[in-house]
Amino acid sequence: MNQANLWLQLRRAAALTLVLLAWEGISALGWVDPFYAPPPSAIGGSIAQLFIDGEIYKHLQATFGAALLGLFLGLIGGALLGFIAALIRPVAELLEPVMAMLNAIPRVILAPLFIIWLGIGIASKVALSFILVVVLTFFAVYNGIRDVDTRLVERVKTLGGGPLVLLREVYVPSVVAWVMGSLKVAVGFAFTGAVVGEFVASSRGLGYLLAFAQSTYNAELTFALIVLVLVFVMLLFGLAGALERHLLRWKYR
Amino acid sequence: MLDIRALQMSYGAEPVVENVDLGVAAGEFVSLIGPSGCGKSTLLRAVMGLQKPTAGNIRLDVEKAEIGFLFQDDALLPWRTARDNVALGLRIRGRSKGEARQEAMHWLESVGLGQFGDRYPRELSGGQRKRVAIAQVLALRPKLLLMDEPFASLDAIVRHYLTEDLLSWVEGEDLTVLMVTHDLEEAVAVSDRVVLLGNGPRAHVKGRWEIDLARPRDLLRVKEQPEFATTARQLWDALSEEVRTPTIRQRPELEVVNQ
Repeated sequence: MNQANLWLQLRRAAALTLVLLAWEGISALGWVDPFYAPPPSAIGGSIAQLFIDGEIYKHLQATFGAALLGLFLGLIGGALLGFIAALIRPVAELLEPVMAMLNAIPRVILAPLFIIWLGIGIASKVALSFILVVVLTFFAVYNGIRDVDTRLVERVKTLGGGPLVLLREVYVPSVVAWVMGSLKVAVGFAFTGAVVGEFVASSRGLGYLLAFAQSTYNAELTFALIVLVLVFVMLLFGLAGALERHLLRWKYR
Repeated sequence: MLDIRALQMSYGAEPVVENVDLGVAAGEFVSLIGPSGCGKSTLLRAVMGLQKPTAGNIRLDVEKAEIGFLFQDDALLPWRTARDNVALGLRIRGRSKGEARQEAMHWLESVGLGQFGDRYPRELSGGQRKRVAIAQVLALRPKLLLMDEPFASLDAIVRHYLTEDLLSWVEGEDLTVLMVTHDLEEAVAVSDRVVLLGNGPRAHVKGRWEIDLARPRDLLRVKEQPEFATTARQLWDALSEEVRTPTIRQRPELEVVNQ
């Protein structure tokens, strides 16, 4: 990290601290009702309590499990479907309108259907994560392959490369670049799917806890859970970013 | 080495080039010039087998694997380093990874990029990328080299030195060359023969000029010779006539892929 960047991070941290302090101060002065906007210290305490009780772990496990499984399956499924559609015309003709339609609607409306089909267990959450990620990945890969630089294809052909070489040297790297470009969005989608699924009907998970907090009018717990989701998604963003910089080092170095 | 007879190439119904005869003997350097869109590149792509002729035939005395093709743009794989881009062709020909990389470094050194093996194309200048592309093609030891306006996108000085180097590689490796260009002086300076393709559509050969300048040639000196001036002048007149009398296309929106 260079100096300018370090300064930027420091300034941001300072600004955040200031906002939290102000919020804390306003609460202490009694200007806002802590029932609706509990002070940061209370929210922090609430988060700590969740971990001390050990209550949170099974919920984290449920949400992470559903989100990561949905993400994994969605990436693989989307990449495969995108690949096949880009290479086989009739498949594209069938699949593209379906995907375009799924892309146009807010896919979380499918949550009730998945719960009816798959029950309130993890399967319906995985399905919702999957459907959110798969459409995104499909278009990334499908467009990625169709937009592959024809000059690269011809270059490899004139060097004597056959279909396998083309796949390895041109198509797969192009697709990786496209998928990496949407990986962060996919991570966000996967968590959206898991949490919304839990929100609708479940017996565990962060979404379940959120629904519980809301039904008991517990703003403190709600804030604590929002912060938790935020922190974990940011962590995964960091991982996705590191992976992207590694795989696409030819672009970032 | 290469013999083209009555060649016709079409996009859609209308032929772009028609009834073209062109021969290139072993060791010869032939340039193909003509107004833009006349089908020069199309003809070159047909020789490489990237596009099928609609009539006529192309006879080659060399294997497909012995033809090197230099494109107008430096389409290197952006995710491969300079070294691995050069090694790619060698790997395709069945060399082991280590061998291919070693040979690739040798070729990069001979185009003056020995220290740049680990750079990605994005980290190289336009001229350097072109040199990598040349190394990539030369590494396969081609007998026939096809070039499609290889230096069109470079600035004058880079272009000069690259052309000079290219000429010395061609003379050193005893390569046969067919080059497409719209730069008439470049064509006269480097070639043994210049062939003028007329206006498209239905473009055909409008003239041939033998260039009797001694080899090896010095790119700067060669332009001072009277023979150079005379030929360049004749070519200029012939090309001007083509450019200034546009033929009417049957279908104005005729899509010409200009690679």
